[in-house]
Amino acid sequence: MTPMPALPSAVEDYLRDTLMRRAHPLLLSFGDDWQLRELHGDPAVYGLDAEHGLRELQDLFIGLPLDGHQDLPFVEFSNGRSAHVHLIADAPGFHVLLLDAEEERERQRAQQQLGHDAVLTGHEQSKAIGRLTEIRNELERQRASLEEANALKNALIATLSHEFRTPLTSIFGYLHLLERRLDGSGNAAQALQAVRRNATYLFTLAENLLEYGRGESGAALLNPVEVDLTLLARDLDAMFRPLAEDKGVAFRVDLLVEETAPPVFDEVRLRQIVVNLLSNAVRYTTKGEIACDLVWRDGRLSIDVADSGIGISAEFRDSVFKPFNRGGQSGSKGAGLGLSIVRRLIEQMRGELRLESELGRGTRFRVELPPLARAAAKSAASHAAPFPRGVQALVVDDDPDIAQLLEVLLIDLGFEVRVAENASQAIAEATRQPPDVLLIDVELPGLSGNAAVFQLRSHGYRGRIVTLSATSTGDARDASLRAGADHYLTKPLNLDQFVGVMQRALQGEASGQNPDADRRG
Amino acid sequence: MRTHKLCMLGDFGVGKTSLVARFVRSTFSAKYLTTVGVKVDSKEVALPGREPLKLVVWDIAGRGALDGVGENYLRGASALLLVADGTREASLASALNLLMQSRRSLPNAVVALAVNKLDLVDRWEVAPATLAELRNTLPVFETSALSGDGVEAAFADLAARLAP
Repeated sequence: MTPMPALPSAVEDYLRDTLMRRAHPLLLSFGDDWQLRELHGDPAVYGLDAEHGLRELQDLFIGLPLDGHQDLPFVEFSNGRSAHVHLIADAPGFHVLLLDAEEERERQRAQQQLGHDAVLTGHEQSKAIGRLTEIRNELERQRASLEEANALKNALIATLSHEFRTPLTSIFGYLHLLERRLDGSGNAAQALQAVRRNATYLFTLAENLLEYGRGESGAALLNPVEVDLTLLARDLDAMFRPLAEDKGVAFRVDLLVEETAPPVFDEVRLRQIVVNLLSNAVRYTTKGEIACDLVWRDGRLSIDVADSGIGISAEFRDSVFKPFNRGGQSGSKGAGLGLSIVRRLIEQMRGELRLESELGRGTRFRVELPPLARAAAKSAASHAAPFPRGVQALVVDDDPDIAQLLEVLLIDLGFEVRVAENASQAIAEATRQPPDVLLIDVELPGLSGNAAVFQLRSHGYRGRIVTLSATSTGDARDASLRAGADHYLTKPLNLDQFVGVMQRALQGEASGQNPDADRRG
Repeated sequence: MRTHKLCMLGDFGVGKTSLVARFVRSTFSAKYLTTVGVKVDSKEVALPGREPLKLVVWDIAGRGALDGVGENYLRGASALLLVADGTREASLASALNLLMQSRRSLPNAVVALAVNKLDLVDRWEVAPATLAELRNTLPVFETSALSGDGVEAAFADLAARLAP
């Protein structure tokens, strides 16, 4: 193999000039103790001034042996310029050679930036898509629960309307009777007209109130009390006898009590059941008899309401219990709600309802109700038990008015309260002396309430955390719960709800276990 | 003054450069500019009751920190600040992976973990329980290069453990 001939000197010169111009080589030759012996090139290219330049170079080789070659590519110097840095051992000293890498660095950076941006954007996109999917699902859930709430609200309003209408119906019934007996003349008749007017006004007011109260809905709890059955029987007789007799229908209420202790029921609902059944009977009976038998025996109350009215054909026996359906008992007034409410109430009270009917001959409803356990009353009472004294609470809110309000409320409930006004203070205070309950505003200046909650949880704080926020979205609530809060309350505070949440917090219930508990917050 | 080399390790885009900028110059830029190679900065750290020390901070390009080239950058380091991005759970795994790899060449370096972007905590994928668990193994700091929260504390912790 023939040796490669030397390049023509003109080419060599050209190459050297070009490379020198591009590489801006800077060579610094040192003795073994960083004593600078020789310098080739311009240190200013890399921002290495006489004062700090040597120190900057020394920093690069901290912890590295100076008696072997070292190669540090793409080192950015304080003036922003990038160089490949080589240490070349040359006992007893060494050389440091810097070659300009700025162009190459920028090229690499541009490529790398594109790649990294794409990855980061992709990550953000997939998260955004995930969030959108969650939002869509949440909207779907909310839509379903709104529909449910709406249906419930309608049913509740219907129930309430009916509850108001039943006694008013009775009032109007008596009025009618009295008016007939008085033949529409004299002072007494005027008085009755006044009663009628005012009853009508009351009816209107009740309807207005119901309209006003449409925003509120929810299932009421049963309220167990001892029921005086004799009084109930007497009231039923007084309410319905005139209505029945007015139509020429015989009416009787019989009571048989074989137990020594009075039964325990939700009296309002019990009355509602019988009143509705009797209203129904009076409405659909024009001859014969209406009989109501109440029997308190063997630990069960049975209610038997029989009439000799128009009856219900077999095909309508189920539908009479549906709202707004009079099941073929046509030609009468009323919204057709009574029986649906009766059935709902009996279900609530875990009773049984049977219907026997023959078209044209009459109808008989038999109801069997087990009395409500007294324990239910006790447990309801314990739910509202007072707070234990001396529970430690830490309140964190930058608004002094809110902080003071929370402080006063909690002291009222028997808590011992400390107050902090920002997240850092809260973290320090909760770390120094962990409270049993931490109430923290989410929208704190600086470090957010959620960040503080996250940090406390990640440091092992195990007390209860209630976050308070002016944002009432599901996302905001989820962010808080994800950060480690147990409960999320929205401002302005609903005091009942606040007390409820504090109770649940102390009982150790988290929103995670009871997802709907705070969603209304 | 004693001088120690500290290397920042972590996935790209987690905020290593921003943490150094916050620590050394108290500045922050929201614009993401990927690092190529390494940028070396230094800062004196005051230690209560002890001599101050100088930290030479090596901000090493994310990823590839431990390919052949990266090993060169790590040599001589006595402290590692692992950095993860709280909004990207995968970056936490990367940081821990980098720690395991660097342990081979730096068995004695002091280590801390900065989980960055605390200002975006509402978007974090990393759960508090995960960090509580990690704290049994190494010091963990939730940081925000944007607000500065936790940044000084993370570097100070490393410095304190470097001091005799």
